[in-house]
Amino acid sequence: MLLVRNRLVPALRHQWSIGRRTLGQQASFDLEDGDEKYRELNQMYVDMFTPKAADALSKAEGLEEKQKISDLNELNNDMNCLLNVGYPKLTAEELRKKVELPGKFILQSLSNNPYFNLAVENYVFTNTPLSASPELSFANQRLLFYINRDSVVIGKNQTLWKEVHLKTVQERGYEVLRRFSGGGTVVHDLGNVNYSFLTSREDFSREFFNRLIIAGVQRSAPDIALDLNNRGDIVLGDRKVSGSAYKIARGKAYHHGTMLIQSKLDQFRGLLKPESIDGVTWNCNSVDSVRSQVQNVPLESVQQFIDMVVEEFRRVFCSDEVEDIPVFYCDEDVTINGEIREYMTLLESDNWKYRKGPKFEIHLQSGNYSMTVERGIIVESSIPALLGWSFQSFIDGISDFKDVDEKLIT
Amino acid sequence: MFGVARAVVGRSSAAGVLRVFARAQSSNALTKTGLPFTYSGAGPSTVLYTSQHEWIAAHQDGTAFVGITRYAADALGDATYVELPETGSSLEKGESLGSVESVKSASEIYQPVAGEVVEANAALEEAPQLINKDPMGDGWIAKIRIGDASELQSAELLTLEAYERSLKEDQHE
Repeated sequence: MLLVRNRLVPALRHQWSIGRRTLGQQASFDLEDGDEKYRELNQMYVDMFTPKAADALSKAEGLEEKQKISDLNELNNDMNCLLNVGYPKLTAEELRKKVELPGKFILQSLSNNPYFNLAVENYVFTNTPLSASPELSFANQRLLFYINRDSVVIGKNQTLWKEVHLKTVQERGYEVLRRFSGGGTVVHDLGNVNYSFLTSREDFSREFFNRLIIAGVQRSAPDIALDLNNRGDIVLGDRKVSGSAYKIARGKAYHHGTMLIQSKLDQFRGLLKPESIDGVTWNCNSVDSVRSQVQNVPLESVQQFIDMVVEEFRRVFCSDEVEDIPVFYCDEDVTINGEIREYMTLLESDNWKYRKGPKFEIHLQSGNYSMTVERGIIVESSIPALLGWSFQSFIDGISDFKDVDEKLIT
Repeated sequence: MFGVARAVVGRSSAAGVLRVFARAQSSNALTKTGLPFTYSGAGPSTVLYTSQHEWIAAHQDGTAFVGITRYAADALGDATYVELPETGSSLEKGESLGSVESVKSASEIYQPVAGEVVEANAALEEAPQLINKDPMGDGWIAKIRIGDASELQSAELLTLEAYERSLKEDQHE
């Protein structure tokens, strides 16, 4: 699809611009002429995307062209598989119905936008119904999968500047997000898949889903011996392959986590800060990340992992009453509504990213600076001029403070 | 009683299961030595519970204290951070009053009745573990001025007895 578009686009654009200019310059009775041009254009689209018409075209244009087109088709098929173009995506309205009605389902996002994915997760979590009555056990478990482009994701109650080398992260093009759940900082890339299991608060247990994952992988790939460590994280040998975090609200809970499959781990280096850096003292009660050595699970693709977990999820949750648990797909371009957009805006906002974390004090040895920061704003400072500044703008302008060693803090 | 509760916590974090707490029966009663109880000489006029495991202790003068129950605190495990509400904020019933983070989970706390936050328990900033030590007393989360005392009559708010009965029902599911 992409390739076809690449080839088509310049030609199309040319036609469009001619069409528009004609329309603009000539009087309205010439619209027929414009219509004709659009019809031509439409026909061209139809020709290009209808196999029969494409065939006819190639016959008319000779063997060489035919060869080109079949190559193109082949490439297109490959691209389709790669880009999941063939997967039926839910519209926002369809998603709303699936979420608000009782029942179990699996939802895989085809978007790599971390803001969209965390927003969809929150949307499903918020709108999933509780049991109709307290006597009935909860039956609306949901399982989500999403893969984010390069991102650093901190826990809800963490101090951003303490966890992340912000400057490096931004220079390397990573997004920085504060999620809605607790826990520590993780790095996402396209080789990492995120799972999210939603259940009731009463049924929630921290280990349940990680045990399900281990069982699922064990069943399909017996030589990969995943295990749980004493913090409930999935490990392979002595290295962590997955990080978990949880959210509990209004009778429901979710457990979400990362799973490293084909992540470019060498590129993660230098993004997250070590536990302490000489010359900087933090005094805060925010939640600290637990640093761990990580590695990938040796599977062929993230999709292979998803398939294994889907199979195990069905094994555990299908029953006489629940014969099948469907898998749905969503994407940013069609599965979007006001509420999801609202969560995206919140996640993207400076208020949420930079002003949400706990109060902290920081002391910098070079320059002997001290400041207290509350809700992202400097409320006490050894440099009076900084009072009332946001801490982030202090960081942005750090090079103006010649006696501060930038490396300590950015 | 305290020893029993801690033992239960230990077991729960090992098993990772939330359901085993109803045995710590009367521990969801207000601690008689904590501020939520001693605020007025006669003690609170009423103590009620929500299905989301918050308690509210209301005093004659319209002041009330809000916290999370022993059941919830035990189920969450060791608190590492308590997100407190801003003093002066007016919150509707059901709005988020704050959250407790423990063992990587962020758990929301909701306002049981509409009211204005008069004070947040600053002791929790320095010592979030107070939530586990004494959730029904010194681990209170917010002191509020109740907007409309008649909201305390709401059928959604449970007596201690009804709350603990609901915990048992959950367990027997």
